[in-house]
Amino acid sequence: MTQKISRRDMLKLAGLGATTAVLTGCGPASKYVKREPYFSMPEYTYNGESTFYATTCRECAAGCGTVIRTMQGRALKVEGNKNHPLNLGKTCARGQAALEGLYNPDRVTGPLKQGRGNKLSGSAVTWDNAIGTVAEALKNHKPDEIAFLMGLAPDHLFDLASELTGQLGAPAPIRFGALGMFESRATLSRAAEELFGQAAMPFFDLANADVVFSFGANFLETWLSPVAYTRGYSRMRKGKNRRRGYLVQFEARMSQTAAVADEWIPIKPGSEGLVAAAIGKLAAEARGASAGAFKNVDAAAAAKAAGVSLEKLEYLAGLLASAFNPLALAGGAALAQSNGLQTAKSVLALDALLGNIGQPGGVFLSPLAPGQEAYHRPASAQEMGEFVQKINSGAVKVLFIHGVNPAFELPKSFGFIEALKKVETVISFATFPDETALMADYIFPDHHGLESFGYQRVFTGAAESALSGAQPTVTPFHDTRATADVLLAAAAQAGQALPYADEYEFVKSKLRQFVPLSGGFFAAPEINTFMAYFQQYGGWWQTGNALVAPAAANAKLNLAEAEFEEGEFFLVPFVSPTLGEAGANKPWLQEAPDPTTTVMWNTWVEINPETAHELHLENDDIVRIVSAAGEVEAPVYLYPAIRPDTIAIPFGQGHTAYGRYAAGRGVNPADLFGPRVNEAGDLAFAGTKVRVEKAGKYRVLSRLESKIGVYGEGMGEGH
Amino acid sequence: MTTIDLNLVGAKGALVEEAEGKWGMVIDQDICTGCQACVVACAMENNIAFVGEEDSGYGRSMHWIRIERFWEGEYPEVKMTHYQPMLCQQCGKAPCEPVCPAFATVHSQAEKVNLQVYNRCVGTRYCANNCPYQVRSFNWRDYNDDRLDEAIASLKNHFNPDVTVRRRGIMEKCTFCIQRIHKAQDKAKSEGRAVADGEFTTACAQACPADAIVFGRVDDPESLVSQLARQSHGVHHLEELGTLPRVTYLVGGQ
Amino acid sequence: MIQKAFKWLMQPLGLAAVLIVALAVFSLVVWGIAQTQKPPEQPVPQFPHQLHVSFGVQCLYCHPGAVRGPSPGLPTVSKCWGCHQQIAKTQTSVKLAPLKAAHDSGTPLQWVPVAQVPDFVQFNHRPHVAAGLNCENCHGDLSKVDIYENPQVMNMGWCLACHKEKSAGNPELYIKLTDCGTCHY
Repeated sequence: MTQKISRRDMLKLAGLGATTAVLTGCGPASKYVKREPYFSMPEYTYNGESTFYATTCRECAAGCGTVIRTMQGRALKVEGNKNHPLNLGKTCARGQAALEGLYNPDRVTGPLKQGRGNKLSGSAVTWDNAIGTVAEALKNHKPDEIAFLMGLAPDHLFDLASELTGQLGAPAPIRFGALGMFESRATLSRAAEELFGQAAMPFFDLANADVVFSFGANFLETWLSPVAYTRGYSRMRKGKNRRRGYLVQFEARMSQTAAVADEWIPIKPGSEGLVAAAIGKLAAEARGASAGAFKNVDAAAAAKAAGVSLEKLEYLAGLLASAFNPLALAGGAALAQSNGLQTAKSVLALDALLGNIGQPGGVFLSPLAPGQEAYHRPASAQEMGEFVQKINSGAVKVLFIHGVNPAFELPKSFGFIEALKKVETVISFATFPDETALMADYIFPDHHGLESFGYQRVFTGAAESALSGAQPTVTPFHDTRATADVLLAAAAQAGQALPYADEYEFVKSKLRQFVPLSGGFFAAPEINTFMAYFQQYGGWWQTGNALVAPAAANAKLNLAEAEFEEGEFFLVPFVSPTLGEAGANKPWLQEAPDPTTTVMWNTWVEINPETAHELHLENDDIVRIVSAAGEVEAPVYLYPAIRPDTIAIPFGQGHTAYGRYAAGRGVNPADLFGPRVNEAGDLAFAGTKVRVEKAGKYRVLSRLESKIGVYGEGMGEGH
Repeated sequence: MTTIDLNLVGAKGALVEEAEGKWGMVIDQDICTGCQACVVACAMENNIAFVGEEDSGYGRSMHWIRIERFWEGEYPEVKMTHYQPMLCQQCGKAPCEPVCPAFATVHSQAEKVNLQVYNRCVGTRYCANNCPYQVRSFNWRDYNDDRLDEAIASLKNHFNPDVTVRRRGIMEKCTFCIQRIHKAQDKAKSEGRAVADGEFTTACAQACPADAIVFGRVDDPESLVSQLARQSHGVHHLEELGTLPRVTYLVGGQ
Repeated sequence: MIQKAFKWLMQPLGLAAVLIVALAVFSLVVWGIAQTQKPPEQPVPQFPHQLHVSFGVQCLYCHPGAVRGPSPGLPTVSKCWGCHQQIAKTQTSVKLAPLKAAHDSGTPLQWVPVAQVPDFVQFNHRPHVAAGLNCENCHGDLSKVDIYENPQVMNMGWCLACHKEKSAGNPELYIKLTDCGTCHY
């Protein structure tokens, strides 16, 4: 082998070496950095190696297990927990960006007397004062004047608050979140109750299905448990015995889920239930079986109402009828109609007709988490409306808010912001200065999810009955305190002590019941060992398949036309697949392009190009969208895959607070929703109709897909 | 057959080994859902800067992996093509390599991937111009400098210490998570064994909820990635340019 | 005008002025370079490596990461205090006052790493130790110095010289040890 001249020598020969060294060596970087180890850092955190902690992702309420890579006391990366039955080592974009929440520059850094300002107040209080304030609030008010409003997650803090309110005699805490509203959870569980005689969250076994009809369920985006459903989708596509699964999506606007479907059927909003029934009838006919609940359905009329041809429905019914494991599921905007409950029942009845209830690739009920006695769903929009009315009547004197931002997540028409003014004392436990926290009297920030102990029930998505465990992965970055600790200390001061020393003891006492149980992922002889394993593995779950096969369905359908408000266009609001309801404060979620439009950092209005042409609208023209409840202004995106009579707006932006990356960016389509609900109490937001007005301005949307528009290229005249 | 010592003719970066790669990837477009988990996972692993609304509007966003999608037809017969995650293809014959005047983008002989050596890069952007996949991104500003943006002082706490934090005027691109390759090799070596298939993977493949991305050794015919790449519906993008890409896309069903 | 100034500079006084200016610039540069070569101020200013080594304390006791991975680690207060709490002098010594203060107030000692490479270099201690290098091969004999200073300039030439020497006659290793991607990513 000849001695080769290395590239470095080449550089020297070219006389470039010195130049490059000088160019890169004279950087502004300071020569020395100071290392700040923790005072009593455990031995294993300063040995130069990474330490991994298993915990639960708190970015949405699904409860995926994560493993956080840390080094020298800093959290560096979110990775999936391979043992966890819900996500099997996988994460979504929001889970990945959790670190930008933890180290966000705009977090609440300590307890504050906020005083209902527009900005975060600078008047800090001590934690002793904070606990004193909470204790006073608990002590000086009658139990029924106290209310707890909490986030969607069925976690340990909800259990603690439930125990506390139980002890005080106060009303039970309310759980709410915009995702629950957009998912139409109340409708799903109510439909399950009416059909199967048991209120529960249905579980759709995508993985084993071969033909899937989805009526508005955006299960690859934010719906219920997106990571688990994406895995199911992936397995469905790969197929059993190499038979690739087939997906058909029915909805007025092509969502990310519809984009990967084999067929997208743009039916008229509100006609989903009717279409499901018609397909059911036609499929039964194709199979030569009785149409059961659908025998009185007029397929031709349904096709006409939905705006599809009868031939198409017949073809689709044929697909379903010849499938080995057909599956139909419904969710999202399809259920957020005045007839949403009937739609949900119609789709489940279609499943029953196809004979897949409790069969592989069919419909099950999600297993309850260990120790859980009954499915506990979060508050529906109707219940929230009643709660807001109660606040507004002045019956609530003390309101504790944790894990939810109702000033942003609840539609303005509910009047939460005005009602809040009637509450004497509002105490927020927000880690982030969101809209609701700013309107509070005090902010006593909880730890970030990656800094705290806890557990969370997995409410759907896994076949196993699972309790996901959480533990601190880093020491708290700011002067925050676990809300559980604050409540426990305050309760003790108020003379209402609960029998737990702190949050950790509370979690431990709740886990004690699982120690003697068999069939778990791990077994331990006593509670301390159990706790150690619980933290090591990121939770405790029973290894067997615990899906509940419901009893035979008995559907009585009363299919009605959906009622709509007055207006020209159907409005299809959808939760931004990247931001979710609370991701707008994380810069990398803002910069992750929307999967269908590739827009970043803003809100857009999707309009069919033909409609836009009729309205003389171009890309990036700002339009005013007016509904009965309100109006918003946002730039137009000419979206080729939306019905011409429909417009769509993503939910997730439009914050007035919530940190520098979220505030003042985009609009909130929830401002357009009226307070109408469906039979199950879920908000009928998809029944909103709107008017579109040209605002005469334009604003260029940042898109990944093309620079057209930004440089004025490719634009029509007049720009 | 005569061989030319490419070092001596000064074109080593241009025409490195054409035969075998070492690391490769298979992306199944049929199951990719376009969810962006890989995009954010990549950003978190590799300290990629976010550039904000205005700069991203000018096409300066720094994604090392992006998910492309195209439209076919018009409403109502409109169809979106399969989502297509696009990242550096780690070409065996990379068009970016011969055009770099500073030898900053070179082919690693050890790992057989396409390197970007930040301390050599002088920011001519010739490589980005010559990349047919448009997967190189340029640092137009000091996005990661906490003196210019105080938010970074807090956000940089999660920066990965195994990856360089890039400065203004530097080109960057997907490295196949070379820090993970090194870490796995280092660990295997310290235990006196070879790296097992699937022992580690890239940040994007690790996050992917659909398991659409698989990473591994393409020079091992038994590895999962080699087996997947051999399927009849595997394609290499812009293969006709002779770039010898190391990423195989599975298009359509089986 | 320029000619006039040039003429003035050419006369003896002018030459002296030029010399003085040149000397001033030169010494400024020397001073500047010297400044960059000074070891940084440490939180315990007179920390004696020499003394610790003479007591038989192994390098890896305080820097245990060196055999395991990239960062050797720097001792925390609790590590120092593990021994020092049993040493009576710790309570009275002026030199040890910063340690006592840090322990009593619960604040960390902010050590300043001296043997550093730029951010664009990914250095890993483990393979170097595994290849048979001892600490003193790169960091010098610390049984002879108090305050640590780099015994040589740690630049790429120095790294590569050793890499080439170690891989001579082993083409595969030579490729690995001279590959850009081994250290830069």
